[in-house]
Amino acid sequence: MKHKKRLLWIIIPIALALLPLIFDPESSYLIYFLYMTFIYIALTQSWNLVGGYTGQVSLGHYAFFGLGAYVVAIAWSRGLINFLSPHGMLAGGLGAAILAILIGIPLLSKLRGDYFALGTLGLGEILRLATVKGGAFTGGPTGILLSVASFTTIAPHYYIGLVITLLALGATWTITKSHIGLALVAIRDNEAVASASGVNILKFKVFALAAGAFIAGLCGALHANYIFQIDPQGFYSLNWTLYPVLMTVLGGAGTLFGPVIGAVFLSIGFELARYFLPEIHPIFSGLLMILAIMFLPNGLIGLRLRKSKRAIVKKW
Amino acid sequence: MKELRNIFCIGLFLVLVLTFLCPSAMVQAAEKKEIIIGAPIPITGNIAMNGGEEKWAFEQAIKDANAKGGIFIKQYNKKLPIKFIVEDAESDPGKAVAATERLVKIDKVDLLLSSCTGNLVVPVAMAAEKMKVYYHASSCFPFLWRPGNYKWSTLYFFELPQGADVPFDVLTSLPPAERPKKLALLMEDSADGRAFDGGLREAAKKYKYEVALSEFLGVGAKDYSAQILKLKSQGIDSGVLLCADTDAITFVRQSKEADFNIKYLHGNKGTVSNEFYSALGKDADYVLADGLWSPEWPYPKAKEIGDRYQKEFHRDSQAIGLYYALAQTLLMAIEKAGTVDGAKVRQAVMTTPFKGTVMGDIKYKPDGVAVFINGAFQWWEGKLKTVFPFELSGGWKLKLAPPWKERK
Repeated sequence: MKHKKRLLWIIIPIALALLPLIFDPESSYLIYFLYMTFIYIALTQSWNLVGGYTGQVSLGHYAFFGLGAYVVAIAWSRGLINFLSPHGMLAGGLGAAILAILIGIPLLSKLRGDYFALGTLGLGEILRLATVKGGAFTGGPTGILLSVASFTTIAPHYYIGLVITLLALGATWTITKSHIGLALVAIRDNEAVASASGVNILKFKVFALAAGAFIAGLCGALHANYIFQIDPQGFYSLNWTLYPVLMTVLGGAGTLFGPVIGAVFLSIGFELARYFLPEIHPIFSGLLMILAIMFLPNGLIGLRLRKSKRAIVKKW
Repeated sequence: MKELRNIFCIGLFLVLVLTFLCPSAMVQAAEKKEIIIGAPIPITGNIAMNGGEEKWAFEQAIKDANAKGGIFIKQYNKKLPIKFIVEDAESDPGKAVAATERLVKIDKVDLLLSSCTGNLVVPVAMAAEKMKVYYHASSCFPFLWRPGNYKWSTLYFFELPQGADVPFDVLTSLPPAERPKKLALLMEDSADGRAFDGGLREAAKKYKYEVALSEFLGVGAKDYSAQILKLKSQGIDSGVLLCADTDAITFVRQSKEADFNIKYLHGNKGTVSNEFYSALGKDADYVLADGLWSPEWPYPKAKEIGDRYQKEFHRDSQAIGLYYALAQTLLMAIEKAGTVDGAKVRQAVMTTPFKGTVMGDIKYKPDGVAVFINGAFQWWEGKLKTVFPFELSGGWKLKLAPPWKERK
């Protein structure tokens, strides 16, 4: 069984990497759809580290996504980097991680639970407003327009998206299998007990927030290279937090594959709703989420766990 | 056995999804039976109302063309009917891009018609550029659009400086003794508001008007009483307002409550909507609104389109003419180009003088932009009367608002 699982880890990425060779990236919507799904999977994993494993509900994740995009846009518009520059994307991720550390230390040392969630929401709004009022530096409310001339195909974006997704999954897996993961779960389950056991609460919380922010920043930086108009309304949109949170919760927060399942399931669900119910698709999408949360409180992955528990009971 | 069944179910699901996401290539290979035009329009979200008007106007223009048998395409030596597809842009720039991707890659559209507002039009123009599909755009200020140097789009809209001149054109048309003296700029704190504020300041300088006060209003704020008291204490008697209809309604209601008498209130964006008048009734009288078009203007079919809209929705629209004309020019250009090839259609758009649209004659400039004059209207007994352009006003004379207490 373990061997089979390991094989899947190799087969699925290879199959995904081969898809642009089978489907023309210029004319196939599937490639664009998967590119967006990769971004959502990476964002769900980034939020899962903070919200799922550490139990710190951050509603300001869109700030890290937006900042990653703006780092690229500002550097590119000043000739410091160019199209799909790895340095630019890395800078986007690092910028977001640094912001997470700077803001995480005061927020996480003072605020918990709902108050922390509201604090992070405030961070997103502050950053959005600072960008709107940023004048020529940020392009103000109209944002920064980048040159589309270098774009030839979506294929590089697709592959970079796939790499970021695998990186996010790999990083989450490594973290959860290490002593850091144990510390994060201990903090989530009982902060007082974790602290009494010698876990440095603030250090691990800030680490989770910064690691999540780094991935979100990378996603923002990549997406800026695809959209070419980086504006506050599009990149500092609360949707970049709400969708990943819903996908994580639906799939199963605090698990490795739950958020992946949630992201794929909701991406397909939204797509089908848009196609078959064009005028009322937000109602259907909202209903789908309410039903999923009502009947699957542990997420889709919880179904599998429930099944295996039942099987154990039957055996006994 | 169970595992096999699970794998079969997942496989079947993925095949279904793949079939949905990858439409057959045969669609392109088969003989062309129709012209497919798509539009990423916000039909949900906060600008869905604008999107609804836009969608209706495009559908009417295409329905009228189809009623005549479609468009003659020289390449196929026959008339082809037009199929119109709308994808929801969800009032969000990222979603507008996704809608464009669906139109081009799933629906396989030949050409794209405009979205609305600059925030959606620019990202769609970028997407059209990437996918090399012609985008016939409107509803975006040319100064936001021009830096893109698009090779696959054109734009039809009014220039921001001209729009900013309108309140001053109207004010200076009054005899000097009647003119309000203390002007305030009241802009919503948004991309539109910031851009328009700059344009209005330039215009004020040009017309030698002094701006006594300038305030940015929070979008969606429920209380403007602090700003209104400030305006009242400074003796402001005229103002240019830019905000959404809900904010404009709040502003006028609270002005009345505070007995703040403003002789001339020139609204932009929000005061033109029917909701503005429905909510305020007679209190909306005397308020001015910017507008793109009027069914009363003496252009071919303008009245007919206005009547059709009125019959269906029991209200007027100052935007449908723009969108109807936009679709008209695209259809004329397709016929002129004799093909649905985007590059050739764009070339035809750039070189054809379009005569007799519902917006009058239209001519694109070499930079891909065609402009029209933004108008000004005054609410009077539930109707919007044309104030500017003066030659289209039909004899309507601007009325300055009396104090609230003197109104019936």
